[in-house]
Amino acid sequence: MSVLASSDCKETFVLNLGPQHPATHGVLRVKLTMDGEYIRHAEPVLGYIHRMHEKMGENRTWAQFMPNTGRLDYLSALSYNHGYVLAVERAAGIAVPERAEYIRVITVELNRISSHLVWFGAFILDLGGFTPLLYAFDDREIILDLLQAVTGSRLTYCYFRFGGVYNDIEPDFITGTLAFIKRLRERMPMYHNLVTKNIILIKRLKDIGFVPAEMCRKYGATGPVLRGAGVGYDVRRAEPYSVYPELDFDIPTYPEGDCMARYMVRLDEIEQSMRIIEQACAKLPDGPVMAEKAPKIIKPAKGDYYAAVEAARGSFGVRLVSDGTTTPYRLKLRSPSYSNLSLFGEASRGMLLPDALALMGSLDLVIPEIDR
Amino acid sequence: MGKENLQDAIVQFAPLDKLLGLGRANSLWPMTFGLACCAIEMMATGASRFDLARFGAEVFRPSPRQCDVMIVAGTISKKMAPAVQTLYDQMPEPKWVIAMGNCAISGGPFVFEGQYGIIEGADKLFPVDVYIPGCPPRPEALIEGILELEEKITGSRRWPRVEAG
Amino acid sequence: MISLALKSALAALAVNEAVVTDFAARGFHFDVTVAPDAVEAAAEILNLEGFFLEAITGVDWLADGQMEVVYDYNHSTTPGRVVIRARVSRATPELPTVSAIYPGALWHERETHDFFGIVFLRHPDLSPLLLPEDADFHPLRKDYTP
Repeated sequence: MSVLASSDCKETFVLNLGPQHPATHGVLRVKLTMDGEYIRHAEPVLGYIHRMHEKMGENRTWAQFMPNTGRLDYLSALSYNHGYVLAVERAAGIAVPERAEYIRVITVELNRISSHLVWFGAFILDLGGFTPLLYAFDDREIILDLLQAVTGSRLTYCYFRFGGVYNDIEPDFITGTLAFIKRLRERMPMYHNLVTKNIILIKRLKDIGFVPAEMCRKYGATGPVLRGAGVGYDVRRAEPYSVYPELDFDIPTYPEGDCMARYMVRLDEIEQSMRIIEQACAKLPDGPVMAEKAPKIIKPAKGDYYAAVEAARGSFGVRLVSDGTTTPYRLKLRSPSYSNLSLFGEASRGMLLPDALALMGSLDLVIPEIDR
Repeated sequence: MGKENLQDAIVQFAPLDKLLGLGRANSLWPMTFGLACCAIEMMATGASRFDLARFGAEVFRPSPRQCDVMIVAGTISKKMAPAVQTLYDQMPEPKWVIAMGNCAISGGPFVFEGQYGIIEGADKLFPVDVYIPGCPPRPEALIEGILELEEKITGSRRWPRVEAG
Repeated sequence: MISLALKSALAALAVNEAVVTDFAARGFHFDVTVAPDAVEAAAEILNLEGFFLEAITGVDWLADGQMEVVYDYNHSTTPGRVVIRARVSRATPELPTVSAIYPGALWHERETHDFFGIVFLRHPDLSPLLLPEDADFHPLRKDYTP
């Protein structure tokens, strides 16, 4: 910041980053006004993967929208499944059997770990380290195999149903999950030794890219970005849904607000998710996985409803407006990366370009979820 | 398409062309160019488990000028279409295109009456050599697509074909 | 939880009765419909209480000839969801921006303008955000035909 303040250089130039750029994780474009190596002004340009999800919601039935939720944020698709079914279950007054709730929590948390592993690999890749990606994908493939056996797909899940889940889990799934957690627990120290304690990483992340709590509030940022600024807001704790109140887990927070804090929050969240899965596997009750009284045709009463879940990137909200028919009247998707990215312009002002890319990576963006 | 993309030389060297084709087919350089969900499976194909390097196609290049294969991995929106077209035009000949996933083939799940935002298939913009169906296709499917492209370039299949069942 | 002082301050702006909603049934705690020119005042009150803005969106009530703008507010340390609504006519869908108070609203308002054509007065830049740069249509209006 001080460099920019003391600079009286009037000559700036515009640098176009994206929409095809490896560091933007997809098709984000950023128009940067540069003063030498320093950013004067950054303006993200969105919409390059706008896929009309909200419009599609209005021309199909409530159930037919389910596959779309798996394609919003393809790295933690089950959280988005969960947000949507919660909203519709709230609107239509459907109760969910306990076994289904536990299965939801187990699969969502597995999905959160896999999402954070992809972020970990891709983030370090942005910073110039290739090897951690291979380790992270190695672990992630085990999760994908586990989830594939239950849900039938590797990425774009459509597993939850109004009133439960589509398919019961096999006993193999629980043994496989617990074996995976044992393996990942043993590998976490390796990740920390290989990456977290690496002096290059520390120099790239420590005291870089400050996003203070007040900035998060002004822009509505949630998730690890907010928790990396010291605010312990987590929808799982703030508005307890599903069976999260019965499970014991911590909300990791780091007060620094720099890239390193957000990095540490996500790695700690992997550990917390493992704790949640272990408890949920131990408590998993017997019983049906679909509510017997769940209606085949959903017709929620007139009115509007909201439901939020903690996705891997922050608070994902669904606002439904029903006019009492079989199709939604309006379906608004509040995606966390959208708000998290909106602060990039302010947070990156005066930064070096390579540091701004570290900041962008630490926000953990999934572009189709921003553009919807 | 394959060789038809090449400008016809006045003098043809058939054995040399074959040799060049063999070299090209076994060291395809795809572009680092992800559009949506399929890009994650493309990453997984290049990463530790599926290891695209076994087939010589792991050198992902961020610049179109260094690539000969464009893997269109995801939905092409109308806003993105000019950029995709530019990327294709910037690639040097000979070049090939793989349409990965249903969105790149036909618009996939995002086609509905009155849609205003997407291009219904990469072949509306430029010629496509190999189509890989799936939403998203598994990494094995992408590998098979690349082997299919190799066969198209050389005219013969180097790796054994996996039979179903 | 939402304090009584905040509830009465917001209720003073309401055009009809402010409703304390059942969270389990609806997903939010407090629902207030205000006049279009009072959205700034409401945002100011919530800002002083430390709320953050989750999202802004629109709903097209074609049969009533009105557009509704919905503001979702939430608090990160004492969770409580407040919904502020304002209705504008479809013929002149205009209301003031809250982006001076919440800069996060800049994008939400631009998106709402993209989709519904609702104009946020004094907004610095309402050019298309999610739609192509030259888009002149508003796809989420109920009478939109491509």
